[in-house]
Amino acid sequence: MSIFSFFRSAPRPSAVQAKERLQIVMAHERAGRTGPDYLPMLQQELLAVIAKYIDIDQNKVEVKLDRGGDCSTLELNIELPAREQLKSAMAAVKQAKPEPKAASGEGEDGKLAANGPLTNGGVKKRH
Amino acid sequence: MSKIIVMTSGKGGVGKTTSSAAFATGLALRGFKTVVIDFDVGLRNLDLVMGCERRVVFDFINVINGEAKLSQALIKDKRIDNLYILPTSQTRDKDALTREGVERVLNDLSKEFDYILCDSPAGIERGALMSLYFADHAIIVTNPEVSSVRDSDRILGVLNSRSRRAEQGLEPVSQQLLLTRYDPERVEKGEMLKVDDVLEILAIPLLGVIPESQAVLRASNVGMPVILDEASNAGQAYTDAVGRFLGEEIEHRFVNPQKKGLFSRLLRRSA
Ligand SMILES: Nc1ncnc2c1ncn2[C@@H]1O[C@H](COP(=O)(O)OP(=O)(O)OP(=O)(O)O)[C@@H](O)[C@H]1O
Ligand SMILES: [Mg+2]
Repeated sequence: MSIFSFFRSAPRPSAVQAKERLQIVMAHERAGRTGPDYLPMLQQELLAVIAKYIDIDQNKVEVKLDRGGDCSTLELNIELPAREQLKSAMAAVKQAKPEPKAASGEGEDGKLAANGPLTNGGVKKRH
Repeated sequence: MSKIIVMTSGKGGVGKTTSSAAFATGLALRGFKTVVIDFDVGLRNLDLVMGCERRVVFDFINVINGEAKLSQALIKDKRIDNLYILPTSQTRDKDALTREGVERVLNDLSKEFDYILCDSPAGIERGALMSLYFADHAIIVTNPEVSSVRDSDRILGVLNSRSRRAEQGLEPVSQQLLLTRYDPERVEKGEMLKVDDVLEILAIPLLGVIPESQAVLRASNVGMPVILDEASNAGQAYTDAVGRFLGEEIEHRFVNPQKKGLFSRLLRRSA
């Protein structure tokens, strides 16, 4: 044993780490459990609608439900394809619909900004 | 009316069967007519822990299927009055447990027994769901270990959403924690979750802390519920837990390391 080990700060006991890890993972799981049961369906249907117009990669979709005291937000974060592909996708949308509201988000780095029209508040619901 | 208790955990191997045998025996020792049912279809073990494996002729599934009468399948314990075991099938699978069948057997049992204790299998599939569906009380068996605590939380969620009481909007299934295989010395070294940590996370009342004990293996070797080993820590801890279940106020023991003199500590180290 080296003399330096006396000065090393004591590592956190593993039981403390166990508790912290549990608190984090279980907070997440409990939120999912008490969430509205239409949520998975809603997510799927929203994605299906978007996929009709834009070629999205299912692995680059992040869906988050935050449950606040009196206001819950559903946040959709969808990474869009590169600008070139986006343009042609949007052209297709324009043809399909004269005023394509859903696809007018300002893509930056091919990513819809969090406050773009598509994700703007997502679904807000007051209880 | 009899009360239905489920011994459940989500995770496997945490001590449900050990605790079911001990608890059923403890309740019978207190004078309550008690039956303990093995819901682990295909992996029968309660009979071994209770020491009645050679007396199994008919089982729970035979009764559900109408192949045997309840009285033919019930095994009366040889040591304790008021104690009966309903073993499960070793050959069928969990699909044999139909909700109607289980309900029928439980209804028949409730005419005769004060307590019906259901020993749940691990997991959250049919056997586990059936064992908790009709419960009035749930004893959540948990080890002070991350995966066990998380699985216990899952089971609490299932109890609150998929039990009969939840589905029918009745008073919820009452839930108590039985923390088993607790090692106060490892807790003191910071190597094991504390009772208080687990309680804080699961947020249900504490029924008892059963220490890690060599008596448990010794007892199962000979087919004796460990609660009958009155000299052992684990046996005493189960006796206390049964008392608390019946509403008595009993202080928790075996939660702190035993105070040892230098001499016995040295002895232990060399042992
Ligand atoms: N307090 C304890 N001290 C030491 N060993 C224990 C203790 N409780 C249980 N065990 C041991 O842990 C093992 C699993 O116990 P048991 O069969 O009761 O668990 P279980 O939850 O019923 O398992 P399964 O999920 O497979 O049905 C057994 O070998 C048993 O002897
Ligand atoms: Mg078992």
